[in-house]
Amino acid sequence: MKRTLKKVLCLAMAAMMGLSALTGCGNKAATSSGAPAGSNASAPAKSDKKIAIVCDTAGQNDNGYNQAAVNGAKEVAQKYGVQYKVVEPTNGVPAALEALADDGYNVIFSLEYDFDALIKGVGGAKPIAESYPNTTFVVFNDNPNVTSSGAVKYKNVISVLFDVHEASFLAGSLSVLVNENEKTLFADGYKFKDPASGGRAIGFIGGTNSNGITVFSDGYIQGINYMAKELGVKYDFYAKYDAGFTDSALGSTVAGTYYDKGANIVYGVAGGVGEGITSKAKEVGRLAIQVDANKDNQQPGYVLTSVLKNTNVPVVTICAAMVNNKLSTMQNVQSYSLSSGATGITDLSEISKHIASTDAAKAKWKEIQAKITEIRGKIGTEIKVVNAQAGEKFDPSTCPNVTIK
Amino acid sequence: MDIIGNILYDTVYHSAPIILCVIGGIFAYKANVLNIALEGMMLIGAFVSTLTAFLTHNIALGVLFAMLAALAFGLVFSVLGVTFKGNVIIIGLALNLLASAIAKFVLVRMNTSNITLSFMNVADLKIHIPVIENIPLLGNILSGHPLITYISFIGIFVMWVLMYKTKFGVYVRVVGENEDAAKSIGLKTDFYKYVAILIGALCCGLAGANLSTERLGLFTNDMTAGRGFIAIAAIYCGQGSPTLSAMYAVVFGLARALSVNLSIYAGPAAGLFDVIPYVIMVCVLTAVSIVKHKNNKIRGFKNE
Repeated sequence: MKRTLKKVLCLAMAAMMGLSALTGCGNKAATSSGAPAGSNASAPAKSDKKIAIVCDTAGQNDNGYNQAAVNGAKEVAQKYGVQYKVVEPTNGVPAALEALADDGYNVIFSLEYDFDALIKGVGGAKPIAESYPNTTFVVFNDNPNVTSSGAVKYKNVISVLFDVHEASFLAGSLSVLVNENEKTLFADGYKFKDPASGGRAIGFIGGTNSNGITVFSDGYIQGINYMAKELGVKYDFYAKYDAGFTDSALGSTVAGTYYDKGANIVYGVAGGVGEGITSKAKEVGRLAIQVDANKDNQQPGYVLTSVLKNTNVPVVTICAAMVNNKLSTMQNVQSYSLSSGATGITDLSEISKHIASTDAAKAKWKEIQAKITEIRGKIGTEIKVVNAQAGEKFDPSTCPNVTIK
Repeated sequence: MDIIGNILYDTVYHSAPIILCVIGGIFAYKANVLNIALEGMMLIGAFVSTLTAFLTHNIALGVLFAMLAALAFGLVFSVLGVTFKGNVIIIGLALNLLASAIAKFVLVRMNTSNITLSFMNVADLKIHIPVIENIPLLGNILSGHPLITYISFIGIFVMWVLMYKTKFGVYVRVVGENEDAAKSIGLKTDFYKYVAILIGALCCGLAGANLSTERLGLFTNDMTAGRGFIAIAAIYCGQGSPTLSAMYAVVFGLARALSVNLSIYAGPAAGLFDVIPYVIMVCVLTAVSIVKHKNNKIRGFKNE
């Protein structure tokens, strides 16, 4: 037994050393291939354009992030007559990207958070973006396409960012409005903590402490602060940023402690952990907020709203530029704001079904929805929301009505 | 007071699946089979229980099928590992990967990223014991948990009896300590190994059902998140004793509960609490090893 264990340990260590050696190579290759590839996507006649969507691990039928992109491709196909192909990579994203580029696809959308092979090149290989200068690659949720000095590295790579901080701001304002009016809005069955006696608290659970997650929470805090200030109340904000993305039982218990501390609403940006949060919301009769896709009907009545990433909008926008031969003039980093429709919160139709049937509740709910629409119009102009994704720093002292615990 | 109560409740919450894995896994440990497939068995249990409950709206049936699925995994493990004498590490690893792959495949076919049981509310599955419920602290520990959680704690005693007070337990331990001696007195050693592994599989199936269906009413892939491996560590810490190993499982549950409940007060440093279980495990394993070899006077032989 001991010998077996020893062998296993040896093997594991050898594997680790091998891996670290490999990553070392990868980094070296990355620094030596700094020169940008010059030419842009070429522009043949309109009809023979081809686009491809490379899905992430959730697959094309995920009712959200991937499916929206596929729907965008379908729309483009109808409108402009371009061909499209949807790929669920079985052999890794880089292999799929290469195969598609080889096949002559003009624009390839890569939904997975996996850029190393594309931008840096792994295992000593040339970066894919450099190998296929006539293909335009579109990546999402980050801007990896920069040199060490911050300049654009490859002109044929477009980074798409969603302004989820603005959508989170809306979610924050909505949370406060709903929380303050819970007595009017909801019938029995829910077990809210009275806002006047300790119920002015809101929770946030993030998968990992990175800009990709804090962009949500920063916007959310500012949204809470905005509404709390207007109503002259103060809120406590509980947050955990290291919940990971898989352990839904952990999400459930963490959400449980927040609900116990008086939070009536918990916002989760943590993949499968978020499912644990909605499950807990149902168990204790309170509310949760979901993310990425419209997951309002996951636990009907207990998911207040979802902060969306509508991938179809960038797909359609970029493809329209492609058929008009304007791809080369497009910016390499594109932020899609609330007004573009690429991000936002759901239309609240699911939670509307669970609003109490009294006239007072209905009137109040209408008032809240109107208020949210009003705030939506102000964001970007009157209201500026800190965007952690773009490297902006959030200063908690600018939110005096929220106490971050 | 409130927070202590919550910590105690969460301790029981997070301990239960690990305890189940531990009290099932100790038999394989005592029979000298390293079963690293506990994680995969638990995951397949979690998946099948939720899937069955989702399709039939019957939670009891879900738990039953979870146990059957885990048993099937246990059977594959035993056939390959015991009858065909394959490398148990490789087989265990394969089963762990297989469980996650099966779940993912079915989820993709179902066009969903997780299974949610919307017909039920997990709050209804909790058993509230009348009088005890209102006693502070004790009520948090003893009341308000679902059935399998109670089974896990009762199981510690049952497994202790099975291990130390029955002929079966003696035979399993004999097989593990000296297989040749066991064979020489006519014991069917393979049979005892099979049963030892299958007991573990059964308990892991229950643990999975507890984690997914009973506690959350949903399944997301890889939701076991390493609990099976923690159970293996607990078994090694407790050297296969049901009570001692289960105690280490509770220590892990306590550490988890602390990290969850104290994170409110710790702010950004909350991440450090999640390290607690692993630090404890390393310390305990080291201490156990030192104590075990303290009286080791002759090189290569234990002074037993």
